[in-house]
Amino acid sequence: MSQLQLDKLTKVFTDDDGSDIVAVDGVSIDIEDGEFLVLVGPSGCGKSTTLRMVAGLETVTSGDIRLGDRTITDQKAQERDIAMVFQSYALYPHMTTRENMSFGLEESTDMSTDEIYDRVEQAAELLGIAALLDRKPTELSGGQQQRVALGRAIVREPEVFLMDEPLSNLDAKLRSSMRTELQRIQEDLDTTTMYVTHDQTEAMTMGDRIAVLNDGRLQQVGTPLECYHRPANRFVGGFIGEPSMNFFEMTVEGDRLVSDRLNYPLSAETADAVAGSDRVTLGIRPEDIEIVDRPADDHAFETVVDVVEPRGNENSVYLMFGDQETEENPETFVAIVNGMSRVEAGEPVVAHVPEDAVHLFDADSGDALRNRVLDDLDETEPRV
Amino acid sequence: MSTETDTQTEKQSRFGGLDGYRIALYTVLGLLVLFFLTPIESGLVTSLKTATAVTNTEPYLPPLSGAEFSLENYATAFDALANGVFNSLLFAIPATVVSALFGSFAAYGLTLVDWKYQVPILVLFVAGVFIPYQAVLVPLSRLYSIIDFAALLSFVWALTPLSPEYANLVELAVTHIAYGIPICTVLFRSYYTTMSEEMMEAARLDGASVRRIYRRIVFPLSTPMFAVVLIYQFTQIWNDLLFALVIVATSSSPASPVTLDLAGLGVSMQGQDFGLRMAGAFIAALPTLLVYIAFGDEFAEGVAT
Repeated sequence: MSQLQLDKLTKVFTDDDGSDIVAVDGVSIDIEDGEFLVLVGPSGCGKSTTLRMVAGLETVTSGDIRLGDRTITDQKAQERDIAMVFQSYALYPHMTTRENMSFGLEESTDMSTDEIYDRVEQAAELLGIAALLDRKPTELSGGQQQRVALGRAIVREPEVFLMDEPLSNLDAKLRSSMRTELQRIQEDLDTTTMYVTHDQTEAMTMGDRIAVLNDGRLQQVGTPLECYHRPANRFVGGFIGEPSMNFFEMTVEGDRLVSDRLNYPLSAETADAVAGSDRVTLGIRPEDIEIVDRPADDHAFETVVDVVEPRGNENSVYLMFGDQETEENPETFVAIVNGMSRVEAGEPVVAHVPEDAVHLFDADSGDALRNRVLDDLDETEPRV
Repeated sequence: MSTETDTQTEKQSRFGGLDGYRIALYTVLGLLVLFFLTPIESGLVTSLKTATAVTNTEPYLPPLSGAEFSLENYATAFDALANGVFNSLLFAIPATVVSALFGSFAAYGLTLVDWKYQVPILVLFVAGVFIPYQAVLVPLSRLYSIIDFAALLSFVWALTPLSPEYANLVELAVTHIAYGIPICTVLFRSYYTTMSEEMMEAARLDGASVRRIYRRIVFPLSTPMFAVVLIYQFTQIWNDLLFALVIVATSSSPASPVTLDLAGLGVSMQGQDFGLRMAGAFIAALPTLLVYIAFGDEFAEGVAT
């Protein structure tokens, strides 16, 4: 169990036609001893490649990987003392659960058969698969296979766990229960863990910290709430959170933001923050938009309800501006309202966009110029 | 389209499932069965007839009376071929097993182990598949006149009842192994490319070396493909006559394989003893049949993948 450091990790693939593709571009992350770090990003962002470099399955183009006080950049996968859980589980189909779990100990340690037996029993107990030890993978359900894959990693008692989308082959119910269980196990074992997922819900709920990756570049590292409330840039703002943050492209005109349909006055403080930019992107989380009866101030806008998606506890209300009603595919934005409130499609409503909840991003660089105002979250600068 | 099939099934049930298409289909199938089975049936009934019955009756009719029926052909053929069958087994089994193993090793190295220049080497293997037997006959006899296995293995002849002519069988085995490796490699490779890469990676992370991964993961999972390759190779090697003719040359040699013995069986100045030849052919074909039966299940599984 040690600290894992990625230092300016870069991976360049050379295509068949000789052109270079930068999959991972100078990623530096320090993962504390025992920390659960979730690497999240859209598919193709380089998160799996990063993980595979740490595992030793992919060579490193430049940069360093350090585990504790040793540099493992050029070490073989066999020698790194790292265990990985794969998306496909990658169980050995001809071996029983017990043999699957013993394999790593037999290959990487010189433990006696009895010791291995005990270790496997213990891990199986922890995962609730003790009854399945003599079955082969084909006789197990997806969830059980997933536990075996996890067990195979746990028995090794490695310095680092790597998990590559381990829950994405499970059905929704099982996924959410495994999510909790994984967290519990990780906490019990207190093993440094790097977890890759494209699912922002998993990232939000599981990680001690989240590292958001896009296009091979690290966008932000922070606690889930930091990333949610203080996105470092527009990408993080849009990626974290479901439904996504609403974005409006605006032009800065003195102390107000203007677009074709919106005219958004800014307080002096906010105007200062955007003073350096001509064009900004205004971001607002769906739950921060309030639907009111009549305009209370000049941050309220007349809209028409396009679609309502009821979800029981809350409704996602897709709104469009009045003049778009006749358009085929109107540009809508989303507000989340209480499930009890009655809003019907076609109904004209007023959307209130409170200035406190507004994020502003530079339209060119995407960098956050101003994040929403929060009382309870520590006032920290967005970390990149 | 679907309505068409609906009316078709309706019609079928009304006419007991028979229509023009089905009748034609079954007729053709029946003829094909006849076409394929007639030679075997003729061979079988001929092998069970006395020499006079063979000349006096139609070849495809079974022996109709006790006077026509005889098992003597089998007894004679067995006596004549027993040594050949033994010799053939002596080189065919090791050659089959070794070429399958080497093919599996090579395919593993070319598929599941990552290193540079795999493709050019694979191309060499594939090219090896297409070298015709005839092209290597002269080089082959030259080679074995240079490498003298009879002298090299003199201790074997000293320690066992085998005569030095059996060196020919070593040559045959070596030849068949060399000739079999390319096709075995290609067959195993097609199987290994379907194996989960993540599983190999999991094994690497579990600390297993390249050799250990082969022994503990790849080899046990190769059983279906081994069945296919063993059956294929054994049949090829067992049935080969060309290499045997070139290397052993004569059925008078004590080390002559069964194919060589079979070629001369029942042939004399008086003409051919068809009954005997047929019986001999069935005896010679028996081992390959047994191999099919032994590995049948795995074979089906391996062919399916």
